[in-house]
Amino acid sequence: MKRHILGLAGASALAIGLQTGAALAQDCSVNVGTLYPTSVDWGRPIAETALWVGEMINEAGGVDGCDVNMILRDDQNDGRVGVDAARSLVDIDQVQLLIGTVSSGITIPILTSVTAPAGVMQMSCCSSSTRLTEIAASGEARGLWFRTFATADVQAAVAAMLARDAGIESITVVYKNDDWGQDIGRMAAAAFEAVGIEVHASIALNDAQPSYRAEATQALRDQPGALYLALYPTEGISFVREWLGLGGTSVMIGANSLRSDDFRTTVGLANLGDFVGTDTSSPRVPSAEAFVDAYAAHFGSAPSGPGLSNSFDAAAIALLAYHAAGRDATGAEIAAQVPRVTDPDGEAIPATVEGFARAMEVLSEGGSVSYQGATGAVTFDANGNVSAPAVSWVFDDSGMAEQRYISLEEVSGFMASIN
Amino acid sequence: MIQSILDGILTGAIISLGAIGLTLIMHMLRFANFAYSELLAIGAYAALVFDRLFSALVPVLDQAFAPLTLTGALALSMVIAMLLTGLSAVIIDWLVFRRIRQKADPLSMVFASFGVALIIRNVIVLIFGHHAQLYSQEIARATILSFDPLILIKPDQVFVLALALVLMLALHLMLTRTTFGFALRAVAENPALAQVAGVRLTTVIAAVWIIAGSLSAAAGTLYALTNQLNPMIGPVFLLPVFAATIVGGIGSVYGAVLGGFIVGIASGLALLVLPSGYAPAMPFLIILAVLLVRPQGLFGEDQR
Repeated sequence: MKRHILGLAGASALAIGLQTGAALAQDCSVNVGTLYPTSVDWGRPIAETALWVGEMINEAGGVDGCDVNMILRDDQNDGRVGVDAARSLVDIDQVQLLIGTVSSGITIPILTSVTAPAGVMQMSCCSSSTRLTEIAASGEARGLWFRTFATADVQAAVAAMLARDAGIESITVVYKNDDWGQDIGRMAAAAFEAVGIEVHASIALNDAQPSYRAEATQALRDQPGALYLALYPTEGISFVREWLGLGGTSVMIGANSLRSDDFRTTVGLANLGDFVGTDTSSPRVPSAEAFVDAYAAHFGSAPSGPGLSNSFDAAAIALLAYHAAGRDATGAEIAAQVPRVTDPDGEAIPATVEGFARAMEVLSEGGSVSYQGATGAVTFDANGNVSAPAVSWVFDDSGMAEQRYISLEEVSGFMASIN
Repeated sequence: MIQSILDGILTGAIISLGAIGLTLIMHMLRFANFAYSELLAIGAYAALVFDRLFSALVPVLDQAFAPLTLTGALALSMVIAMLLTGLSAVIIDWLVFRRIRQKADPLSMVFASFGVALIIRNVIVLIFGHHAQLYSQEIARATILSFDPLILIKPDQVFVLALALVLMLALHLMLTRTTFGFALRAVAENPALAQVAGVRLTTVIAAVWIIAGSLSAAAGTLYALTNQLNPMIGPVFLLPVFAATIVGGIGSVYGAVLGGFIVGIASGLALLVLPSGYAPAMPFLIILAVLLVRPQGLFGEDQR
């Protein structure tokens, strides 16, 4: 047995030696960790979008002349798997930049236990928990944290706006019992009360329960006029089928996490006629429309799932900052370059291969650029947050369709009125 | 209150089915098999495959038995799934556990079972994906039994309870009325003595795996019928099934049945006293309470 282990060690030492030899022989490359739930239906397009940005950056000349090697890992939308995968990216692949992930419940432990302690920059496309703002504000994230997704309070406020406009009088909040769900559930309950809607109860759903019947029965006791669902499709499907089976109301407002074909087909379109969802959106600017066209041209279908434009911008901004910081930069050095990529006074550059090439040129010369991305001209505040307009959406025959666009001014105005 | 107890009984029936097999396996092979609940997943997915197959080949079978959402195709598939899962359990034992049993201690078996669980789960993900699947897209509507207090029940759940009870009764008759049942109980009591009396150990072990596999497959299929099917069904049931086994006393079939109902009802009632976020702690609390008060379980023999 001992000999086996020695043999194995020898073989792997040899393999590592060969690998370095090979790396020296060819042009340089930089490893970038990409962590998304690729095995989940809505996660795969988010990951593919990020990889696509990597290809575009390579076409434009690569990070500081080096090919970007986007190492993709699957977090399976599971905290344990996600933290392990992030650890392997940071410890074994030695990445200085980690792009990911979606669920705040996974992003938070990765940020606090893997990337921030190791000094690796982390940029997420889709995590919206305000807990991340607190972590950034407390200094625990060491300035290494960014996200291109607006915080959950936007969606919570918009849910209240939709409920008020629909004349809903009472509602029960059902939320996923993780960082994101507790956060958005609490804010939504507060927002509903602020517009005068009675909130009967806030019910937490834990992951991986055999049945959500008891929770559905509990919600039914109050006979609410509507349900607010801050759930992911897995428990969302279980709960909503149980709820409808028990005769609960079909009037439901859902967070963007339910924007999934799985949810639509498994609950059944016929049962979702009164469902309306919320999401943050890209502003209606030319660069956002250009993204839609470019995406359709590259993937053969329009971007319809959640987080795609955010995923694009997260990867693009992070890689441009990496370029500005240089191929041997540390996470902190990359993070320090982000403002030069999103400088409102810088040269406006579009999110195309030519745009990336031009941006790299300007950045290499020491200038700054204003990246005009899929979610518009992105700027981060001190805690790595962005703000965004919102949309409401519904399920239809073809998938999901936008119902109403709520501009940034309208969102901000409404949020100010209820706070 | 009544509704919670009713729901608990219905969930409990499925847990009981799963726990019967586990209690037999744990008692006979003397190790905690953490891969056990994956048998539920194997069964449920096997039923899914055959359900789709039969529905496509013989459309007549695709008619649901009103008011149930159960179709003829699914009923037939469940029987096949029970056989297949029983066989898979034997094969897994033959490939992994038997070899370790011969060479190493029970602790190695426990670790191996973790590995087996991961492999099974990920193979299922590879083949079927992470997303939820359903036997029937129809949402089973509940029937209102009483308005005040509001008591609702779904026909499917009554069917699940009835079928679970029938399966348990069949097992009970087999254990108490047949020579094979005696042999099985003899091995559980004292393997060495049973062998002296002419019972073939390997045959009995294979039989126990088949029984455990088929009951788990039934539990998995019935669960997927009333809820949904996804690859996490194994880990979801791991804790309740272990809790039921420990509560009932390892080795006691009747204990496992009772334990399943206790865990089911307690989880249902938990929401009345605990905030919903903490309700899943219920099985743990039950395990703790039983271990503190009666370590051998309700029906277990005192081995001190």
